[in-house]
Parts: sequence; structure tokens; C-alpha cells
Amino acid sequence: MPETIELSPTVVKPRGKDQKPDKSNRLTSTRAGGKMVSDYWENIFTAKERGKQVVWYNGSALNPIFQAAGLEWCHGEAFSARLAAMHMEGPAQQAGEEYGYVNELCSYARTHLGCAVLTQQGASEKQSGIVGFADQQELATKLPSPDFFVNAYAGCSTGQQWDAMTYRVFGKELPMFNVSLPMIWGNKPDSGYLRGKEWEKTPLFVVEQLKELIKFIEYQTKKPFDWDALSENMSYIKRASELRLEAMALCAAAPTPATYWDWVASIAPINFMPANQALVDYFQGVKDEIEQRLRDGVSAVANERYRVYFDGIMNWNKLGFLTRKFAEYDVSVVAGRYTHDSFWQEPQLIDPENPLLGMAQHYLICPINHGLKIMEELLLKRCDDFGIDGIAFHSTRTCRAMTNPQQILARIAEEKRGIKSFSFEGDVADAAFYKDETLESGLVAMLETIDQQRARM
Amino acid sequence: MWHTLGVDLGSTTAKAVVVAPDGRPVSSSIVQMGAVSKKGVERAIAAALEDGGLTRGDIVRTVSTGYGRRLVELADRSFTEISCHARGAVAMMPGVRLVIDIGGQDSKAIAIGQDGLLDRFAINDRCASGTGRFFDVLSRALEVEVTDISDLAAATSHEAEVSGMCATFAETEVISLLAQDVAPADISAAVMRSVASRTVGLVAQVRKNTPVVMTGGVAQNASFVAELSRQLDLSIGHLDEPQIAGALGAALIARDDYLSTVPDDERMQTEWDRQRSGSPIESCQDCDGAAGDDRGPVPVTLMPTVTRV
Repeated sequence: MPETIELSPTVVKPRGKDQKPDKSNRLTSTRAGGKMVSDYWENIFTAKERGKQVVWYNGSALNPIFQAAGLEWCHGEAFSARLAAMHMEGPAQQAGEEYGYVNELCSYARTHLGCAVLTQQGASEKQSGIVGFADQQELATKLPSPDFFVNAYAGCSTGQQWDAMTYRVFGKELPMFNVSLPMIWGNKPDSGYLRGKEWEKTPLFVVEQLKELIKFIEYQTKKPFDWDALSENMSYIKRASELRLEAMALCAAAPTPATYWDWVASIAPINFMPANQALVDYFQGVKDEIEQRLRDGVSAVANERYRVYFDGIMNWNKLGFLTRKFAEYDVSVVAGRYTHDSFWQEPQLIDPENPLLGMAQHYLICPINHGLKIMEELLLKRCDDFGIDGIAFHSTRTCRAMTNPQQILARIAEEKRGIKSFSFEGDVADAAFYKDETLESGLVAMLETIDQQRARM
Repeated sequence: MWHTLGVDLGSTTAKAVVVAPDGRPVSSSIVQMGAVSKKGVERAIAAALEDGGLTRGDIVRTVSTGYGRRLVELADRSFTEISCHARGAVAMMPGVRLVIDIGGQDSKAIAIGQDGLLDRFAINDRCASGTGRFFDVLSRALEVEVTDISDLAAATSHEAEVSGMCATFAETEVISLLAQDVAPADISAAVMRSVASRTVGLVAQVRKNTPVVMTGGVAQNASFVAELSRQLDLSIGHLDEPQIAGALGAALIARDDYLSTVPDDERMQTEWDRQRSGSPIESCQDCDGAAGDDRGPVPVTLMPTVTRV
């Protein structure tokens, strides 16, 4: 159970005349991450002008390898999420649909494929008004064309097809390397999270592929790979990850000083920003602010009455909205599968001097790449660590890999911990699938159920 | 004498129920006025008060529920349909463990704990898939009253199939079947099967349990209840007025809320009156008195001893 500490009430910010007061209190240190990410993309947009080679990749965080090889890297989901967070995803998604990618396809993929289509069409057709929205379209077309692709997707059936489609958009002329990441079934008697024979053997298979990937990159760049640079990159990532986890652990305090939404805002830095001292400084800043909040008695949600776990990929169009929505009902969303079970979340596995094994292990512990036994272990651990009262299952419409086990996880949480839950539909990058009434009804009903559960005690 | 009021503003109807201090329903009304109609609410409240011979001054607490619960200006508090249907269903059928409510906009399966309190729930998480909206679509396409669909479906003689999850696509399918000269009775039965299969999926999320009861207007559709019962392989209990379950639950929650504010002796007197009035003690429902029943002790409120001078 979390430590309970005395915190003074968080200031409730007044809003417009017809709006409810905002009871959320997001970290300010994460704003530095926003600038880092913005600068990163601006830099990518000028890669060709600077004579840099560009790799497009999806799935796992291969960026430390690309960075060591002197490449510029563009993560497909990350750019789709950025467009969605900026409410600028429309033109890319329409371009993708016009090209033939229907709206039931993963909206990350659809958005990114739309970007590929727009990038391929180039500046001349950008003026033709093929999909309207000229201003928004401008950002979607800014990605530099890739020199090659790398695919390394764990637990996602769309991932490899996605890059195969992108490969076709670019006329089947660009090289591609695919890293195959097997699912960690976890169904053997000795299996569990980070243990058992399956866990010992599978990463070795991935390590061999990473070595092949590095040979492929050497061939593409015509330069020997800089192993020292990779070690240096991984030492920065290891330290940043340690700080992130230490800061997350502080949020076991009740009321929590930071929420899931702050960790969502910190995904981009840990997932694809350059590994350097600035990355470490970012997470040191986040941890410092949380510690300061604990000292000053400042909570992330005014009047926290419920602690909720969020299961599902982030609904990027709705980050601010959902932050306020949950806080409105005195709910602190404390942790989540997407934020806490992803993104270099086991830094002790990283050996900077011999980094490939730890990297391979992290690529395999993607939260959609486990069998149910491991998912159960992780869910119950998070619920215990963070004193969770309820679970919000974001039924991510176009990501069935994330959604498939949710009903079973809901049942496990109920049966093994008596934790209530509800599910609402939405999507990672397509706001059309979100219905506010569905979220509100389910959330309030869950809170009423928790109230009745507490009344029994 | 004080009373409390429950108002259920659903997507198609407004319901109001007044309860007495002992929790007994005094009066109720159902008004069909179109989508989340404020006028419908006002009429329902006025009718329930008139029927009970009461005025607004007699109402000490009002709780609203339903899709339009936030539009009920008179309400002191609002609760979701989940809590209110659970509370209402338990009051109407003490001992019930599973409540299925198919509303105009959403469907719910609600598990009730052994203590009669809400335990778990599942709501359809998208569009109008498997909701009462399907029946509106069907009645429009077949040009029959929604109340006649049950009898129509009962006359089916051949199997047709409506597979659409979306109410809009379901309408397209119904029109397509009509164009193929499929009998309206067979189409109606097919829609019943389709909605029932969605409901079975919801029930699976909270797990089957008995006794089970349906609330809401669709509970009056005998053909649907029979089909759902067949698919669930469970007998579904009958309520005399399933449509008012949510409003009754809201009125009872309002009563609880009010009682929590009154002095202890007045609250105990109210409980005493309730038990003397012959209202069933919920924990005793369905108990055969045999040893080994695990429902725990019967909650009995005792009046404090009064010393006369």
C-alpha cells in the first residue's frame, strides 16, 4: 500500500464562465520536454539540407543505434502522435485514406502512411489541394524522405505490414531491414516476468539480429559502426531511465504528486530523443519537481479521492482534456500499462559496456508482447505498488493488440484484488472514435461502485 | 410527511417516482416526449406528484439519473443509471443478483452483491450496438409501432439473419431483407437474436448469476426476453413496472441521502416503521430457513427503549 502523507490542498484553477474549474495540477518541468521534442522535429525536417541520411522506423526504440551511426531517425508512431496531439492529424489521415488505407487500420499507421504519401507527392502537389487543409498539411508533409527503413515491432500484427505499405508508397526502391521480435508467451511453468528459460533464450535471438542490423547500417552509411558511441548513448539512457523510475516510485504517495498524464508527457523524451546529458537533465528536473512537491505538500489533483490505473495507449488528441476530466471527479490517474511497462523500464538490464543484450531484452518487454500470465503479474504489481482503487480501460479502437486482453485483465483485477474497472472507447490518433458520454458514464459508474465498496468496509 | 423523488431522464422517456419515508413507492409516471426532453421531465414530475396527492413542497430530496440526468434542474444530486437501476431492481425483487438494462442509447449488465449493493457492471462501449435503438430502427423500417414488435417476432416461421453491430447498418440490412421479401415477423425475430447476442456478451463481462431480472422498456418486449433467456440459458424474472426501476432507485438513493442528515432517533423511527409496514426484509428473500444459509444475520433495527415517567 502507498505511504500516506499530509499534503495541503492543490489550488483549483478557475476557468471560463461555463467551464468547470480545473482541479488538475500538471508538472511544469515536463514543459522542457515539449521544447526538446519540438526542436528535435525541427531538426529532422532539415536533415536533407544538412546532407544527413534519414531512417524511418517503427516500433522499438532503436534510436541509440541510429544515433551512434550518425543517422537522423524518424519514428512513425511518434510523428503520428505529435500530429494528433497538435490536432493536425486530419490531412495525413485523409491522404492515407485517399491512398486506400481505411479508417479501421491502426491510426498511427494510417497517419504515418498519409505522411508518406504527402512526402512522396512532394511540394508541387502540396499546392494542388488534394486533401484541403493546406496549413495543417504543411506539417504532415515536412518529414524528409527516408533513405531506408528499419522495422522492429513487438506484439503488433500491423507493424510489419505498415512498413511494407510504406515501402510500396516509396516505389519499392528503398532498402528495408526487419528485426523479428517473438512474443514472450510466459506459459511455461518456470516462466514469469524477466525469468525462466524462455526469457533467457529469446533475447539472444534478438541480439544476433541487432548485430545483423548494425552490419546493414554500416553498408547503408558506408562507415564503420561506432560502438563507443552506442555505449555512451546507452549510459545516458540508463541514467535517464533510473531517474524516471525513481520519480514514478515517488507517486506511490497518496495523494500523488504527479500523475499518469505527466508520464505521458514524458514518453517522447525517453522513447526517441537523442541520448545525451540533456535527456538525463530532463528526468532529473522531473524528479526534483516531484520531490519538491512532496516537501511542499502539493498534490497533482485537488482533493484526491480515487486512485486509478490507465490501461491502453494514450488518446493523443485528448491529453489535456482527459487530465481535466478525471481530476474533475477527484481522480488521480496514478499509473498505466503504457507508461509504466514501456520505454526502458528495466534499467538494471542495461550494461553500457555490452549494450545489445539489454536493448534486446527491452525490445521484447513491450507491454503488448507478453502472454497473459505476465500481464497479470505486472498489472497486480502496479495496483499493489500504487494503491489502485479502479482501472480505466481505454478500448483503443484501432489497436486491438492493446485491447484484446483487457476484459480478462479486468476480471483478474476484480477477482484477485477486488479492483473495479470500466472501459471506454477511443483511439490513439483518431478522435472520431472517442465519445465523451461513454467515458463519463463509465467513469462515474465505477466511482459509485467504489463508493459502495468502501461503504461495505 | 416528507417524501423523496427520483427522476430518470432517458434518451426516449422521462420517468418519475415518489417514495414515502418507509421507502414504499407512492406514485410514478412515465412520459414519452422525444430525446432527453426537459418538458418530458417536468410532465413526469408533475404527474407523479399529482398521482400521489403531493406538491413540490413535500419533496425533501430529489435524485436524477439517466442519459439526461444533468438536465434535471430540480435534482439535488445525480447518479448513473448503473447505481439507480441496481438499487431499484433490488427493491422490486429482493435477492436479485444480475440486472440487465437495455436503454435507448446503451445497454448495461449489473452484478449485485450478496448484500444487495452494486458490485460490478459492464456497459456497451460504442455507438448504439445492441441497444434499444435497434428496436426503434426496426419499427421504423417495418412501419409498425415499437410496442407491436414483440408480437410480430413471436409469429416467425423462418430464420433470417441481421448481423450488423451498428444500428444504422442494421437498418440497411432490414431494408435489404424486406427487398428480398423476407417476412417482417422473421426480420423482427432476427433483430431480437442480434440484440440478445450483444447482451450476452455484456453479461459475460460481469458473469452470469441468478436471480436475474431485466429493467427498462425493452423488458416489456416478451419475445426479446424469451430470446435473451434462451441465449443466456437462464430464467429472467418479471417485474411489473420495469421502466421505473431507475427512477425508483434514484428516489430510494434520495431517501438514503435525506435520512443521513436527520437525527438518529428520527432515522430509527423511520426504519422501525418500514419494518412494521410489512416491507420484505431483503436478506430473507428466497431463504428457506434451512441451516447453512450463508447470507448472514438479518439486519433488524431496534427502537431504543423508552422510559416512561
